[in-house]
Amino acid sequence: MRNDLELDAIIEDYLLGKLNAQEVDAFEKLRLNDATVDHKVVSHKFFLASMDEFAEQLRLKEQLNHIHSEIDVESLAATLRPHPSRVVQLWRKHKSAIAVAASFVVLSLVSIYSIQHSTQQAERYRQLSNRVNNAIKTQNSLIRNIKHNNATSDKPNNQNSFGGTGFAISTNGYILTNLHIINGADSLYVQNSKGESFKVKSVYTDPQNDIAILKISDKHFNNLSSIPYTIKRNTSNIGEMVYTLGYPKDDAVLGEGYVSSKNGFVGDTTQYQVAISVNPGNSGGPVLDNNGNLVGIISGKPDQTEGAAFAIKSKYILEAMRAIPQDSLGVNKLTANKKSLLSGLKRTKQIEKIQDYVFMIKAY
Amino acid sequence: MNNGLKSSVPTDREVILGILNNSEDTLNKLYKAYYAMVLQFILNNNGDEDDAKDVYQEGIIVLYNKIKAGNFELSSKLKTYIYSVCRRIWLKKLSLNSKKTGSITDYEDVFAVEEDLEHHEEKDASFEKMQSALDHLGEPCKTIIQDFYIHNLSMQDICEKFGYTNTDNAKTQKYKCLQRLKKIFFQP
Repeated sequence: MRNDLELDAIIEDYLLGKLNAQEVDAFEKLRLNDATVDHKVVSHKFFLASMDEFAEQLRLKEQLNHIHSEIDVESLAATLRPHPSRVVQLWRKHKSAIAVAASFVVLSLVSIYSIQHSTQQAERYRQLSNRVNNAIKTQNSLIRNIKHNNATSDKPNNQNSFGGTGFAISTNGYILTNLHIINGADSLYVQNSKGESFKVKSVYTDPQNDIAILKISDKHFNNLSSIPYTIKRNTSNIGEMVYTLGYPKDDAVLGEGYVSSKNGFVGDTTQYQVAISVNPGNSGGPVLDNNGNLVGIISGKPDQTEGAAFAIKSKYILEAMRAIPQDSLGVNKLTANKKSLLSGLKRTKQIEKIQDYVFMIKAY
Repeated sequence: MNNGLKSSVPTDREVILGILNNSEDTLNKLYKAYYAMVLQFILNNNGDEDDAKDVYQEGIIVLYNKIKAGNFELSSKLKTYIYSVCRRIWLKKLSLNSKKTGSITDYEDVFAVEEDLEHHEEKDASFEKMQSALDHLGEPCKTIIQDFYIHNLSMQDICEKFGYTNTDNAKTQKYKCLQRLKKIFFQP
């Protein structure tokens, strides 16, 4: 034990260069002859290096702590901390972007305002019923009309008709859609994804919420199997991913996006704004979330904004369903209580399941 | 305060030369120059002042060691380097605490510093090892070792401080402590 300590002392003095030449010679000889001594020297050298580094880092840390104590952290933090109000926070982050955006907003507001005032539009937004062969349409829509006419030139009875989308709310043929699609129509038909048409009659209309319920009155109609989607009772949050299936043309078209605002046009609380680009014909289409819950019904879009649409909130679907005799809907109706059959499925599978329940509405 | 900090920002060359020459003043200026930047980043990304202090000091140590090692090439602004390093350290801490790292609010440009940080982590591990070995040592050994190796006190000073009758006794005590420390330190 005693010898060990002495050896350690000599090794350290040797490594720190405190031995005189004679002692160094003697020690190096010992080191050559004795492997254990040599091993001890190497490990002590490594240890000293580690210790040196440790000491240096420690001193550095102390120094940094000292400097840190000179900084007035609190007042600095107070100015830099995320401001409690999100507005200020956003402002700080995106000053320049906001400035540019604001000028655009002001510009577009001015133009919307002037347009509204010059034309005294009665309608608040563009309804998305597919109005075929309407002479008073803008140039954009006109192009679509020509295409549409080419595609359906072999269907003469398509003249002067409105088209839209609707979806089943019970298995025995009740279909919900927008009132503005069928308003003033003489006869109504729905067409399913297989191309079969059925005659329907309107059984309930709600002008306030722009909702209509139709009933298939065709003998050839076979009852559907159970409704795959359910109604979402709560309101959806901004950012929730949603999609819609509709008939802006003769085949079903999927539109995907997210809930972009909790209110519709100029703060209409009965509607959401969704970021889905929709076209005439999408009206009445169901808006579903990823779990297959019915979030709303596509009903219109802002005139000046591309890629946005308005959707009537799902609770008004429930209200409309309550307004018709409950027995008539049968047992297998759309409810809010069940688990959606679509939940957990991939989008392609979901579409496969719901496409039999989404109809094209044709109003003549 | 803020303006005072900004006005004393040293140039990147000054910082490197200063650190190589062990200038305390440079370190002081460097530290104060970029602290606000990192504080802002941490505060706006789920952290508080203490997190900012830890991360920033770690970042400064990475830079300091890199400059000291002599292989620091100024390929970007020092500010960007410090920001990138601190950002990387903070992201790692966030993910370790499984806090959300979804959207990070950035205030500066960022470039890859993975290699430097790996190097730093190795160094940090050996630092931690020595620290925990010292903590396990117990008193008075810990203080004797610290006084001798870290605060560079002479055996004479230590002898007086601890009231040993002569330096030989103190030395014996020191080597006994050292033996135990090495045993702990080299434990796998």
